[in-house]
Amino acid sequence: MSGLLFGESELRDVAQRALKATQGDQAEAIVIGRTNSLTRYANAAIHQNVTSREAEVRVRVVVGKRYASATTNRLDEEGLRRAAAAASDLARRAPEDPTFGGLPAPRPIPPAPSAYIERTAEATPLDRARAVKLLCDAARAAKLVAAGFVATNVQEVAVASTTGTWAYSPQTHAEVQIAAIGDDGSAFAHRVAPDFSVLDVEGAGHEAVTKAVRAQHPRDAEPGTYEVVLEPYAVRDMVGFLGGHFTGLAVEEGRSFVGGKLGEQVTGPITLVDDPFDPQGIPRAFDFEGQPSDRVTLLERGIARAIVYDSGTAHRAGVKNTGHALPPNPFMPAAAMHARVEAGDASHEQLVAGVKKGLLVTRFHYTRWVHQLRTIVTGMTRDGTFAIENGEVTYPIKNLRFTQSYHEAWSGVRAIGKDLRLLVAAEQFGLTASCQRVPALHLAAFTFTGATRY
Amino acid sequence: MTVSSFAVERDLARRALDTARTRGATYADVRFVRRDEENALVKNGRLESADRADSFGFGVRAIADGAWGFAASQVVTADEADRVAALAVEIAKASALTKQRDAELAPLEAKTATYSTPVQIDPFAMTVDDRLGLLVAAESKLRERKGLRTTRAAYAIWREDKLFLSTEGADIQQRLSEVGGGIAAEAVGDGELQIRTYPDGLRYQNSGGWEVLTRWDLVGNAPRVADEALALLRAKQCPQDIRTNVILAGNQLSLQCHESCGHPIELDRALGSVAAFAGTSFLTTDKLGSFRYGSEQVNIRIDSTSPGGLGTFGFDDEGVPASEGWAVKAGVFVGYLMSRETAAALGTRSNGTMRADGWQRVPIIRMTNVSVMPGSAGTLDDLIADTDDGILMDTNRSWSIDDKRFNFQFGTEIGWEIKKGKRGDMVRNPTYTGITPEFWGSCDAVCSESEWVMWGTPNCGKGQPGQGAHTGHGAAPARFRDVKVGVIK
Repeated sequence: MSGLLFGESELRDVAQRALKATQGDQAEAIVIGRTNSLTRYANAAIHQNVTSREAEVRVRVVVGKRYASATTNRLDEEGLRRAAAAASDLARRAPEDPTFGGLPAPRPIPPAPSAYIERTAEATPLDRARAVKLLCDAARAAKLVAAGFVATNVQEVAVASTTGTWAYSPQTHAEVQIAAIGDDGSAFAHRVAPDFSVLDVEGAGHEAVTKAVRAQHPRDAEPGTYEVVLEPYAVRDMVGFLGGHFTGLAVEEGRSFVGGKLGEQVTGPITLVDDPFDPQGIPRAFDFEGQPSDRVTLLERGIARAIVYDSGTAHRAGVKNTGHALPPNPFMPAAAMHARVEAGDASHEQLVAGVKKGLLVTRFHYTRWVHQLRTIVTGMTRDGTFAIENGEVTYPIKNLRFTQSYHEAWSGVRAIGKDLRLLVAAEQFGLTASCQRVPALHLAAFTFTGATRY
Repeated sequence: MTVSSFAVERDLARRALDTARTRGATYADVRFVRRDEENALVKNGRLESADRADSFGFGVRAIADGAWGFAASQVVTADEADRVAALAVEIAKASALTKQRDAELAPLEAKTATYSTPVQIDPFAMTVDDRLGLLVAAESKLRERKGLRTTRAAYAIWREDKLFLSTEGADIQQRLSEVGGGIAAEAVGDGELQIRTYPDGLRYQNSGGWEVLTRWDLVGNAPRVADEALALLRAKQCPQDIRTNVILAGNQLSLQCHESCGHPIELDRALGSVAAFAGTSFLTTDKLGSFRYGSEQVNIRIDSTSPGGLGTFGFDDEGVPASEGWAVKAGVFVGYLMSRETAAALGTRSNGTMRADGWQRVPIIRMTNVSVMPGSAGTLDDLIADTDDGILMDTNRSWSIDDKRFNFQFGTEIGWEIKKGKRGDMVRNPTYTGITPEFWGSCDAVCSESEWVMWGTPNCGKGQPGQGAHTGHGAAPARFRDVKVGVIK
């Protein structure tokens, strides 16, 4: 695997040297190596083209019921020693956490499909530039301009601890985004694949360009409650917000809409799973504490079934750790990192055909909580919003602001697309931690509370 | 200035520049960056998180064949300097495949200089016990009030040493220092989760030393913050779907400025460079100098020299000196945030706003300190006394704005009705929405300098790959007429 920055044996060596330098009762080391290359284009030309090679070690030290961590990108003896000393010193001085249950004991990690593709790791700047040229040419042929990026990423994650934990996984992913922009309207497409050689650059270009042609000269639309068909890009946003409620910390802090409601119907018949072994996703069989990640059904046809935990929230709740720890952080210690909304049976045409009067929404923009407990989110539509009349997309409309309870919107699900799209979330904690596979959805009611003028 | 000597790094930077030139670069620059930070959070009586982090590396930016390339590495050796410089040039040549025109930089006098943030109390020189002691004291004070679900106290200390060299002859060394933190109380009940924080979420931050945090008296304010969180559970809902007068507290006005002025005056946005992600701007270049952005009460400055600002420095990451100027003067849009390349497109010089999130990221246009200047409305109490009817909204809780920075909707932690010049009942879940130039056009009063505070946003996201920036926004409370309030049914 020549495209890797390290490889398993070298990462193991780094982790062990870091652990050895700690002073405490227990210690854990997370080592992350990455080579990220991203070619960004706008106005039909590459304007930013970058590659960075990064690695870091995050050391967590436990002294009794006290703990602290330190992170460094210096992997030499001095750098590791300093990080270990800093974490050890902080841990000794930290106030006790009487709820702390210690680092998790090692558990066997089942095999998962490989998410590492050598061809992605070996992609060159010229490979990415050629992909960009293809997109720019496709847009130009339709009298549009293209903007977006083409990226190839290599990431290695390793977790070791003094309790005997060892976990290692390399992964790659390639990504293309395009907004095709005309004088008075735009459209968007996004593709992700572990293998750059099969990344559907042409398909992304075709989707964005054909939709952008139809998006020109949008009409005004009145705010109000509409039936909607949401493309997967918008559905992913809903999965991100609602997925955060299916975590131990959200329940513990009283900010989860499923808190105390496991076994109850909380949405319409949507099934949401977290599947770290999904061969069509970006699999990784363990979490950032080196624990095996369970396949968890969060929602089963709208019935809340389970939530995910890291070791800390599981210990405090007195339940089994599901192995969903993110890198140590106080605000989101665990998450569903491989979320999938199970496919339905409707083609895209059938989803639209089922709407008498409504809207087709390509993408959401700048979504934020308005009322977390009621899962009310506000945001804008963007890059391709259309009217649907009598089962047909009829004309583009200007963008609208919505203020809508996401789980209540899912209560009115009328049809689920049969095709799932693999997407990745923005980087968290300095790495690509999660991916989603989601379909388009037909929802009975979605409330738009404002309009803009384009 | 107790800054890293960077002696070895300076030699490596020169070597990288030579390699870039040899490989065909017509321009190149090198930044070495060493960042140290520590974040701690006390929650519900326990230390939830204490994390120390350091990062060191370098990035090379190059123009070759008229196009840009950038490469970065944390391996600080001569061989790696050569490899990274050569890779930056190779990437630039690949970029030329789609080139529409040659990259052009506005002229700049290359400087040899140093800069360091003024610091009274160096937080890195304090003991851990002293730093954590403040959090423990403030958080335990919150917990004296019974009935809260979650209590938090947090700090962040941050320091960055930077060396910048360019093929034009620049040699600039800087040390930037910041401190931030705050307290938060959450109450849950009857289907509501209410939060109060002080002084501004857990994200208040300024440039400077530990004195930045101690001036806010976290311990002394904890009982009030806890009481307000509990009171919000019982408070009435903010009126819905009405139009009324709104007074925004200074911390909320600072974010309003960040989102609806700071971002749309980024010239890369206005020129379409970030159209697919961040979006574009309603402040297109044809509007510069003539567009009425707000009322005559609205004066917004771009100033990277403001004391305490998170956008305060000696030089940006292109080696352009810190500067001050106007974004909006007496309500008219007059200035952009610029890089050397975007400034050249306008036929002017850069005002120095290119910043990178560490050694591994390429500099992009970021807000420096974009501040609403004080007016003459006196104190907040004076402004309330001058308002017959309305709502006072304090401390941001929710924020969203469209991709041209036109249609926005914000929510705050707390509000109070204003009736006949007096602060009345507390209201929960306050929200307001509007269209940017109409909203700023309705501003008829800004409080005086005594109420003006340098607030900040230490987590402004932009760029692909993603970059976080620290931006400053001075603001005082201000009043807006006939604003649409309330969106939660």
